[in-house]
Amino acid sequence: MSETVLSIDNLCVTYKNRQKKVYAVKNASFSIEKGDAVGIVGESGSGKSTLAMALLRLLPARTAEVTGKADFLGRDLLTVDDKALADLRWKELSVVFQKAMSSFSPVHRIGEQIEDIYRVHTPNAQKGEAKERAVELLKLVNLGDRVWRLYPHELSGGMLQRVAIAMSLLFNPRLLIMDEATTALDVVTQGQLLNEIKHMEETLDMTRIMITHDMSVVAASCNKVVVMYAGDIVEVGPVKKVLKTPAHPYTQGLLGSFPSLKGETHALRAIPGSIPDLSQQYNECIFAPRCPHATEACRKARPEPVQVGEGWSSRCVLCGGGKA
Amino acid sequence: MSEQKKKAYIDIQDVSVFYPVKGGKLFAQGEKPIVKAVNGISLQMEKGEVLGLIGESGCGKSTLGRILVRLEEPTRGDVLIDGVSTHELIRKDPKKFRRMVQIVFQNPFDTFTPRDTIEKIMMRPLKIHNIGKDDQERHKMCVESLEAGGLRPAEDILRRYPHELSGGQLQRISILRSMLLNPTFIIADEPVSMLDVSVRADIINMLLELSREKNASVVFISHDIALTRYISDRIAVMYLGRIVEYGTADQVVKNPQHPYTQALISNCASIDPDEESAAIDIQGEPPTPINPGPGCFFAERCPHATQECLKKYPEYRDLGDGHIAACMHIGK
Repeated sequence: MSETVLSIDNLCVTYKNRQKKVYAVKNASFSIEKGDAVGIVGESGSGKSTLAMALLRLLPARTAEVTGKADFLGRDLLTVDDKALADLRWKELSVVFQKAMSSFSPVHRIGEQIEDIYRVHTPNAQKGEAKERAVELLKLVNLGDRVWRLYPHELSGGMLQRVAIAMSLLFNPRLLIMDEATTALDVVTQGQLLNEIKHMEETLDMTRIMITHDMSVVAASCNKVVVMYAGDIVEVGPVKKVLKTPAHPYTQGLLGSFPSLKGETHALRAIPGSIPDLSQQYNECIFAPRCPHATEACRKARPEPVQVGEGWSSRCVLCGGGKA
Repeated sequence: MSEQKKKAYIDIQDVSVFYPVKGGKLFAQGEKPIVKAVNGISLQMEKGEVLGLIGESGCGKSTLGRILVRLEEPTRGDVLIDGVSTHELIRKDPKKFRRMVQIVFQNPFDTFTPRDTIEKIMMRPLKIHNIGKDDQERHKMCVESLEAGGLRPAEDILRRYPHELSGGQLQRISILRSMLLNPTFIIADEPVSMLDVSVRADIINMLLELSREKNASVVFISHDIALTRYISDRIAVMYLGRIVEYGTADQVVKNPQHPYTQALISNCASIDPDEESAAIDIQGEPPTPINPGPGCFFAERCPHATQECLKKYPEYRDLGDGHIAACMHIGK
C-alpha cells in the first residue's frame, strides 16, 4: 500500500548573487507516500514556495543552487534532463499556482489554452479529444462547458482557480502541487474547492502537496503536515497529532496566533520578533531568538530532527528530553 | 427598537448604492441594468462597539465601508453620527468629519506615497488638521505614537521610506496614523488579510487596544470568520448588498440561522482537525448584484429554498436578544 511517490533527501536551495548567498531551504528531508495529502505551512519567507519551485525545477539555474536529492518515482527530479522533465511535467507532476488570474493568457480563450497543453503532450490527439476530456474535468470542479469559450477576464477568481485545477488534472498526474491555490479565494469557494479536491482524490489516484500559510486549510484537507520556518523544516508529522500537541515551539506559536472558530476565545498571541536574516548561516537553533523556551543548549548547535512519534519528528533539542 | 435607535451613536439608515451598468445596447428597451452594490442597509452601533462585517467578495462590504467614510455617496439613505447626518457634516466641515472618521485599508503597501518618509507621511494629517503647535511637537507625537505601537526605534523608523519596512510594520503605521487624529469611528477594511498569521495577532490586538482606549466604534470588514468573531462584539453577515443576519459574535458564529450564514460558517475550515466539518454545499458562485430579486437573493443557491422564497424578499425575523435574520423558513 505505502508506495513512496516522492522522497526528498537533504535538499538545499541557496540563492546567490555577487554579494551574498541566501540560504532559502536547508537540509529538507521528508517523503510522501502514495495517496498522501501533505500540507507545507510556514510564514512568508520560510522557503515553502522555494522548496516547491525547486522540485518543479522552476528556479533560475544562474541564481539558485539546488543540492540534494528528490526521488520521484525512481527518477531524481533535480537531475533529470530537460526532455525527460518535459515529459514529466503535466503528465506526472503538475502544479497550480496562487494567482490563477495571472496564470492564464488574457488574449486566448480558456479552451484554446487547455487544448494547447493537451496537444503538446499528445501530439496525435484527435480534434475534440481535448475538449471532451476538459469538459469532463470542468464538471468535476463544478463548472459548465460554457467556460470553454470564455476569456479569462470573464470568469471570477474562484472559477479561474477551478479551471487551473481542472487543467492540472488533464493527464491524471501522480503528484499535484498546489502553491497557495486556495488562498485568494472566498471562504465558501475555498470550502467548496477543498471538498471537491478531497472528492477527486477519492476517485482519482492522486497525491497532493498543499503549500499554504493557513493552518485551517491543512487541518481540513491534509493528513500530513510539514512546518517550515526560515528555511528549516522544523516539524513533520501527522496532521491530527501536530495540530493538537505541537512539539516544536514554533508550531505552538503559530497555532496560538490563530483564533478558534467555535471554541473558547483565547487571547491571540503573536510570535515576538521577526524572521532572521537568511543570508547568514546559523550555528544554533534558528528559532532560538524568538523561542520562549530557549536554553543554553539551543544556542550551541543546530538541532537535528528528533523523533517524537511515528512519522513525526521535530527539529528541537527540547523535544528529545520530552519537554517542550 | 425605536428607543434603541435614538441612543445609537452610529446610525446607518437604509443605505443603498446603485451603479448604472455602462455600455449595453443603445436603444435597449425596458429597465436599465443597475448594479445594486449595497441595497438598503440599516444598522446601529454604540460608542466603543466593534462590528464585524463578513461576506464573500462582491457582497458590498467594502462599498459599505467606503460610504461610511464618505469616499462614496450613497444613492439612497444616510449615515448619522451622534444624530447628525454625515452628509451635512462633510459639507459643513470636511476636516472635522475626517477627524472623526478614519479608515484603514487592506494593502499597506499601497496606502503610502512611496516618495515620502514615514515622518512626512505621519505628520501630514497632523499638519492639515492643525494639531500640535509646531513641527517639533508633531514629531514628538509621532515618536510617542510609534513607540506605543511597539515600533522601535521610532526615530529610525521615521526616517525610513515605506519600501524599507515590512507589511506588518506598515500596517501598524497605517493604524497608528489614523489614530493620531483621535477618531471616534474607525473602518478597518480587511486590515490583516495581506499579512502573515504570526503578525496578524499583534496588529489585531493593537487595533482593539487603541480603539478601546479612545472608546471609538470600529467597523471591521473581513472575510475571515474566526478572526472577526475574535475581534467583534456584533457581526453582520452580508450577501449581495444586504444584511442577511445580524447578532452578537457568538450568536452568529455558534448558532447561525440564515442558510447562507450556516453555509459560510460550515465551509470555514477550523484549525482543530477533530472538529468534524460537515460543510454545507451551496451551488455555484454568488450571482451578480445586477437587478437581483424579486425573491430572496440567496434562493437560487439555497438548499432550503421553496417557491415562496422566489416571490418576495423575506422580512427580518427577530430571534431574540437582538439576533435577526432574513429568511422565511426560520422558526417554521
